[in-house]
Amino acid sequence: MIGNQLALIKRELWEHRSIYVTPLAVASIVTLSVLAMLVFASGFAKELDLAIFGASNIAGEGERRAALTAFFVGTSWLFLVALAILTVFYCLDCLYGERKDKSILFWRSLPITDAETVISKLITAIVIIPIVAVIGIVATHIVNLIITSLWVSMKGGDAGLLIWGSVPIFDNWMAAFIVVLASGIWMSPFIAWFLFVSAWTKRAPLLMAFMPLILIPLLEWIFLRTRFFATAVLDRGDAIPLFRTLDFESFFEEERWRHGIDSISLLGHLDVVQFLTSPSMWGGLLVCALFVTAAIYVRRYRDES
Amino acid sequence: MTSVVDARGVSKHFGAVRAVDDVSFQIEQGKILGLIGPNGAGKTTLLKAVLGLTDCKGELSVLGLDPFRQRKELLKNICFIADVAVLPRWIKVTQLLEFVESVHPNFSRKRAEGFLSQTKVRSDAKVRELSKGMVVQLHLSIIMAIDAKLLVLDEPTLGLDIIFRKEFYSNLLNDYFDEKRTILITTHQVEEIENLLTDIMFINDGKILLDSPMESLAESYVELRTSGEDAVKARGLGPIAEHEMFGKAVLLFEGVSRENLEGLGELRTPSVADLFVAKVKGARK
Repeated sequence: MIGNQLALIKRELWEHRSIYVTPLAVASIVTLSVLAMLVFASGFAKELDLAIFGASNIAGEGERRAALTAFFVGTSWLFLVALAILTVFYCLDCLYGERKDKSILFWRSLPITDAETVISKLITAIVIIPIVAVIGIVATHIVNLIITSLWVSMKGGDAGLLIWGSVPIFDNWMAAFIVVLASGIWMSPFIAWFLFVSAWTKRAPLLMAFMPLILIPLLEWIFLRTRFFATAVLDRGDAIPLFRTLDFESFFEEERWRHGIDSISLLGHLDVVQFLTSPSMWGGLLVCALFVTAAIYVRRYRDES
Repeated sequence: MTSVVDARGVSKHFGAVRAVDDVSFQIEQGKILGLIGPNGAGKTTLLKAVLGLTDCKGELSVLGLDPFRQRKELLKNICFIADVAVLPRWIKVTQLLEFVESVHPNFSRKRAEGFLSQTKVRSDAKVRELSKGMVVQLHLSIIMAIDAKLLVLDEPTLGLDIIFRKEFYSNLLNDYFDEKRTILITTHQVEEIENLLTDIMFINDGKILLDSPMESLAESYVELRTSGEDAVKARGLGPIAEHEMFGKAVLLFEGVSRENLEGLGELRTPSVADLFVAKVKGARK
């Protein structure tokens, strides 16, 4: 059972190279942008000296921390967006592609149950893709911290103080890990819905997956004048019960930094217990289980020829 | 003899269409059974039922298991090639071998690599880079490296040229088949496989028209080529089919002994193809 799962997940990574090509592309974009920024900034020698002097002597540790955390959060957020798009396309393709090229008959000729196969795709979407994304985030941070410290040293700054001494690396990475993983779990009803559409539709999986998400709230509004579906489904992404406050603006406000460096902790803003005890999260997992069961059922019982 | 497949009153209906209609038969260990039927006869549906890919009514047991409900268990001991184009196009040959090795308890990678080394299939190639014939060779190499009790082949050589087809069957017979294994095969190119079959089954409109060992076909069926007065006499003996060839009447008899036909013309054992046409036409009357 576990051996089969490992083989099946490996298989997903062979087939869907976008799982690691996408984070690699985001990492390259971030790194190139940072390089471009540094080259651009190098053109202003006088201002640069002043900035490094200011950052080293006038700004407190809190401010330096906040500035680097902003960079960390920004890049992690880029990964999160790319991850979301990747997951949608992965889920819609993974049970549709095998039917389109008829390889499903080969896969089904091996001693693997349909449940094992569908679950391997769910694990890939909810666990593997997020983990690959976190690896991408961590690698991007390390590469860019190194580039930036070299640059700061070249410009006469103390990289040890300005960069490495000021960045709460593990706090940021742990937070990124939790946010990325929790997002997958939180959005699992969508992931399972996409898997179901992928197993079920005869054509145009993207259209079939999004049409109900647009039509149902529209019809509900026209006929019932309510927004129940839209609130429960479309607004779900914003409603993740993981943050103590969703007020990111105040997080980076100057006033907060002066409350002490502990307030710059990203982890301190996450409430894992609130997330794990949220009925909405468990309700989502239930919907996920229903759609996954439906996907298994369709793969098993539908005659493909 | 042990039954590998045991079907009693098996039916599968799609709405009003009876794809398989109350069919009963057995396949014994060590046999190579050819399942012959026109398009839409129910062949593929019957195979799918045997492979557990579709549910059906009636009693169906394959290797002592219920194929639909105990599919995973069944698939450890049964292999199939469903069509030529089913290997995923994106996969590399090495990945394919690695995957099958990790999920199939009865697969020998060494054996598969041995078969592949006799072909032009490169191990670092992707399936999409291989020709149709090479894809079949690859699939067959994998299938033959699985120590299975029952092998099911559904039109395995469709779209291949004659050289590949001949090679396919000779590999199958020489490197794979033995008295412990059983093969169930369907094809349109019946004349190519009739020499290797031990048993034959005709199916049409979901019903079995003929289920017989190859060696008893010669006892049960006789083809007579004749003309003139003799033809009139022969027609009196109740042929099941008649057609004309080079100005001679060709009559096909079932259950009429050769002695009764001796002297009326040239006698021979009918080809499977001719017998099949006669049986299907007879069933339609």
